[in-house]
Amino acid sequence: MSSHTHEEILATVTEIVAAELGVPAAELPPLRDLREVEGADSVKILRSVAKIERRYDIEMDDDDVFSLRCLDDAAAVIAKTLAQGRA
Amino acid sequence: MTAADGVAAAGGDFVDLPWEALVDHNCFGCSPQNQSGLRLRFSTHPDGLVTRFRLGRAFESYPGVVHGGILSAICDEAMGNLLVLRTGRSAFTVTLRMRFVAPLKVDHEYSCVARLRPEESRMGLEHAAAEILGPTGRPMATATGIYKPVPMDRAREHLVLTDDAAGRLQDALSESSSKQNGA
Repeated sequence: MSSHTHEEILATVTEIVAAELGVPAAELPPLRDLREVEGADSVKILRSVAKIERRYDIEMDDDDVFSLRCLDDAAAVIAKTLAQGRA
Repeated sequence: MTAADGVAAAGGDFVDLPWEALVDHNCFGCSPQNQSGLRLRFSTHPDGLVTRFRLGRAFESYPGVVHGGILSAICDEAMGNLLVLRTGRSAFTVTLRMRFVAPLKVDHEYSCVARLRPEESRMGLEHAAAEILGPTGRPMATATGIYKPVPMDRAREHLVLTDDAAGRLQDALSESSSKQNGA
């Protein structure tokens, strides 16, 4: 399994979430609270999670998924999950 | 395939499941002769296995919405049968985790794609994942499962089979596995 930097993961997550929310990636800085993004709802966030899990072939813990506040959180959870898979 | 309750798989090149070697095969998920069941048919997919389905009101939850328990069964069927085809063994479900992303509508067509997750597998347990997708490929539900593939002699502790039926099933399992693995 290849390793991914936080920045690489963040870029991928931003691309996926921006496409799902229908907003430009530039409107999703890493620390922006996703609840403040117009049009964001639980369905779109869960669809993004599904695509992220598919992309990295990971399963994120429900506690992590449902406590995500921003893309930086998501990148950190993905990195943690990938590391657990390699352990 | 036709079905009074609207469970129908789209046409295509369907995979022969080893259970069809049993004349009284009655699986709720994949037996074509279980009139109360889902009668799912599977085709190969680049990721693993796919089934397409359209569920009628017999499988309804809230008005017009497909029951989530049925979706769990479909994901379990897809993952379990993929493992059966790949390993040539019966695969018993150990865990099944669902995430329901959005409600599915009754009388609309969806697909379920299952894949294996071999990097996660250890201790004789196999990991798999499945997604239920809408017509445009958007995820509607996701599942992960852990399965215990069991050889026939162990499986027979749980399955009700005559010696003759067990022999036919073992032959069919071996043949299916050989086909799937390109032998």
